[in-house]
Amino acid sequence: MTKLLLDRSAIDAAKKGSADLFILALVDEEDHHGYEIGRQIELRSGGAVTFTMASLYATLYRLEERALIKGRWVEKAGQRRRRYYRITDSGRAMLATQREDWGRFIAALTEIAGVKPAVS
Amino acid sequence: MSGRDMREAVLRKMSKSAVDLPDATVDELVAYLEDLHNSALDEGASEAEARRRVMAALEESTFSVLQGHAAKHPDRLHAARADAMARTAGGRNLNVLSAIKLAVRQFRQHPTFALVTVLVLGLGTGAATTVFTVVDSVVLRPLPYADPDRLVTLWDTNSEKGLAHDPISPVNFMDYRALPVFSDAAGWWRPGINLTEPGKDPIRVNTVETGGNLFDVLGVRPQLGEGFPAGGPMFAQGDRICVISDRLWRTRFNGDPSILGKTIVLNDAPHTVAGVMPAKFHYPDDIDVWQRLRWDFTQHSRAAHFVEAVARLSPGTTFEQAQSAVHALGLRLEQENPRTNKGWNARLIPLLDEALGYYRPALMVLFGAVALLLIIGVLNVATLLLTRALSREKEIAVRVALGAAPRQLVTQLMAESLVLSVVGAGVGIAATLAALPLIIAFTPVEIPRLAEAAVDMRALGLCLAVVGVTTVIFGLVPALLLLRTQFTTDLKAGERGSSKGARRVYSVLVAAEVAMACALLVSSALLVRTVGSMMETPTGVNADDATISTVQLSPSAVGAPARGGTIETVWVPVATVHARILEEIRQQPGVIAAGESNFLPFSVGWRNPFLIEGQPRPARQEDLPQAQMHSASEGYFEAMGAVMARGRTFTEFDNKDSIGVVIVNEAFARRYLSDGDPVGKVIRTWATGIGPLGTHLKSPPNYRPPPEGMPSEIVGIVKDINNVPLGQTVEPAIYFPQRQFPFSEVFIAVKATDASVAQTAIRNALRKIVPNVPMSTTQTWGERFAAKTAEARLLMTILLFFGGLAALLAALGVYGLFSWSVALRTRELAIRLTLGAKPSSVGALVIGQSAVLVVAGLAVGLVIVRLAESALTRVVYGVTTTDALALATASALLLIAAIVACVPPAVRAMRVDPVEGLRAE
Repeated sequence: MTKLLLDRSAIDAAKKGSADLFILALVDEEDHHGYEIGRQIELRSGGAVTFTMASLYATLYRLEERALIKGRWVEKAGQRRRRYYRITDSGRAMLATQREDWGRFIAALTEIAGVKPAVS
Repeated sequence: MSGRDMREAVLRKMSKSAVDLPDATVDELVAYLEDLHNSALDEGASEAEARRRVMAALEESTFSVLQGHAAKHPDRLHAARADAMARTAGGRNLNVLSAIKLAVRQFRQHPTFALVTVLVLGLGTGAATTVFTVVDSVVLRPLPYADPDRLVTLWDTNSEKGLAHDPISPVNFMDYRALPVFSDAAGWWRPGINLTEPGKDPIRVNTVETGGNLFDVLGVRPQLGEGFPAGGPMFAQGDRICVISDRLWRTRFNGDPSILGKTIVLNDAPHTVAGVMPAKFHYPDDIDVWQRLRWDFTQHSRAAHFVEAVARLSPGTTFEQAQSAVHALGLRLEQENPRTNKGWNARLIPLLDEALGYYRPALMVLFGAVALLLIIGVLNVATLLLTRALSREKEIAVRVALGAAPRQLVTQLMAESLVLSVVGAGVGIAATLAALPLIIAFTPVEIPRLAEAAVDMRALGLCLAVVGVTTVIFGLVPALLLLRTQFTTDLKAGERGSSKGARRVYSVLVAAEVAMACALLVSSALLVRTVGSMMETPTGVNADDATISTVQLSPSAVGAPARGGTIETVWVPVATVHARILEEIRQQPGVIAAGESNFLPFSVGWRNPFLIEGQPRPARQEDLPQAQMHSASEGYFEAMGAVMARGRTFTEFDNKDSIGVVIVNEAFARRYLSDGDPVGKVIRTWATGIGPLGTHLKSPPNYRPPPEGMPSEIVGIVKDINNVPLGQTVEPAIYFPQRQFPFSEVFIAVKATDASVAQTAIRNALRKIVPNVPMSTTQTWGERFAAKTAEARLLMTILLFFGGLAALLAALGVYGLFSWSVALRTRELAIRLTLGAKPSSVGALVIGQSAVLVVAGLAVGLVIVRLAESALTRVVYGVTTTDALALATASALLLIAAIVACVPPAVRAMRVDPVEGLRAE
């Protein structure tokens, strides 16, 4: 039980730290609305990383408040309007820094703990 | 599962976890759930499964992490909060309290708008409440007498002489008093009185010698003593009794209750004090001593007009009935006594009107002005709120589309306007409380009863009424306008549809502002002209720096016996002592000229008959011409800067031992001596004296004038000195030398290097010659004259201030309207420009539209002035209320202000880039 709990909390911490990176990376590719963002992260991580609806939006709003991403309402015929998020210039700078940091961190994990990146 | 179900699920979850999320965030969450639901269906899941996933996603979400975050969307921030508040307040019914909370929060976020609104409202209500408080205390409150609205004052009129408000003749008064329309009437006159007691400085006291029934007529009892015996005689020759004021009792007699029954010395004669009147009672104006009449009013002359009177209407009699009864009697008296009463009649004036004089119409005008100002302020704020509401049109459209109930929206808008109105009224009350003591302390004129003004429930009631009305106007009008739009048009077309209607409403509001500003400006322009013509009125004197004082010589002061005096023992000494005082003043260093007269400019002299020698004498004595008779010493015309047109002025040799001489004014010469040189002509007069006030030294010892009259030679003509109230034509006047026709009470005029030098000179001279005679307060003639125009100048200043403020607000209104309408019509203007219109013609279009609006406003404004005419006529002088110059100035000013105000929007319209403009929508 204890071990499992520890495992879960380790993943939670990693998720928290990496959530920003996931989202920034996704909206860097193209503009997405909230559901797509959550869905893509879940799919691409093979279900390893999931957000609840609330934590997803809390993260989006936090990034928006820091002006790393920007949301805009888009209305399409016959559809409920949705909010699409796109990366900002400062978001892109932050993404580059985070990629570098995580790259070094993963290299260290590989080197020291023998953790290998999963091959997708 | 429908979108609505999901929204409800989200809302349920929110209220369960006690989290308040903005509407926009809720929208996002619902969109998420919809996507989840749809993709589940796409993957082939059943509706039940899809629904389960939606509920699971909701279930595992912890809404509290969203608290404090919101989807960014400036337009929707407000709507989000409003709806959130609505939800927390329990579903769709927006709780009023939370709506108010929301409004407060919103105004704290946009403080500039709220500040401007509150200031405009605060100043408006503040000014209105202050003026109302003053009007209430001065005009509306009843006088402190029994049934004060049954009291009237009685005045003589003479249409031939243009007199509308003259003291009445005592004999005529007794006839009017007997009319059944009055239950009683009291008359009095004003002798100059010195109060002397051994061991105390003599003082001059304001005194009336009045019928013993004065206090009964007014319904006021003394606070101490019996006063004049109730139901006692109107006059009693034998006993001298008096009643004194609370002020005199406290300052002179230390509030000693044993004053009753004691004697005080008034002009050498001991009087028994029969009572002390209540505090603040000084009727008819600033009286400290009321002596009971010691002579019979009926035994005087119908031609002498010097009595003032107050009457109480008998029960059931209306003012109009009483007035017409008085008028009928006046006509009869004229027929019966043509010699004395020709042209004379009488009129009644309600006591309150009489007490307030100029201030009643002036304050009513001021009240009207401040009301207009307040309305302009309110309209201004209304237009501000209207544009603000229109800029929120889309937000409201969305909310209506999302199912917000109209009631909810109206509640919210009303809450906002309520907050603004209440805070504005609060500021107004604070401003009133701050301003009122300052106004009472610093008003440059004596306004009756002003000192009693205090903010009370009525003033607060007025404030509340303003709050109520403004709340409705500010909140309801924009709300209804917007909602009507929303229900008749769809989201996208709504903007243009409503803007058209809104522009109409907006234009009407602005035109109304212009109209009221116009009315205010015209009124202030009329007052400027009034003061101008008052100042320009020729006075005939040039004496701004001359110092004026009064002196009253009682028999003891000139060493005469108190009773039984003759011309030789009383009046010759009076003339001599006056002459010695003047000689002593002229001896003082720095004195340039000094003289005395029994009347100052603007005061009416005693009217008496005369005949010019050589002109035919009418068969009846009553057909003799009449002229004002004044008495003036040598040096008086010099000290007052009057100009001799011909002949000489008086000298010290014009005394009782030389031949009788007079100086006449130009009006006299023009009217009666137009052919030939008046100087050297002789006039005959029959007036041997004016009661106890003055006596012609050449009268026979028994005071019976010889049938042919007493001759006086005209030695000079003085240019007209104004001898009637402002606004009337100078009457013919005869000036007697004071050494031949002395008066015991006279004005001393001293021209010196400096006012304080003159004052010292008068004081030193009185101390040396007549140590027992008090020196009255002194004023320069300039100050005295300024006091005559002070009321009009004060009103002018206030109206100018209000007018300026109103014009500014109206100009702001015009600016706002056209800025907004240009912004709204960018597309139309762009099309015009694309189709080849010149920018200048686009600019001209805007200016032309504003001109039309302003001219319409001006027209309505002039109508308002027309409506206020009856009040305005009573405060202007020398101009009519249709004075072209005033109307033109005010209109031109306003037109210029309005056109200047719409220049920036016009320029903006000219600079519209056709391409950008077309793209804008």
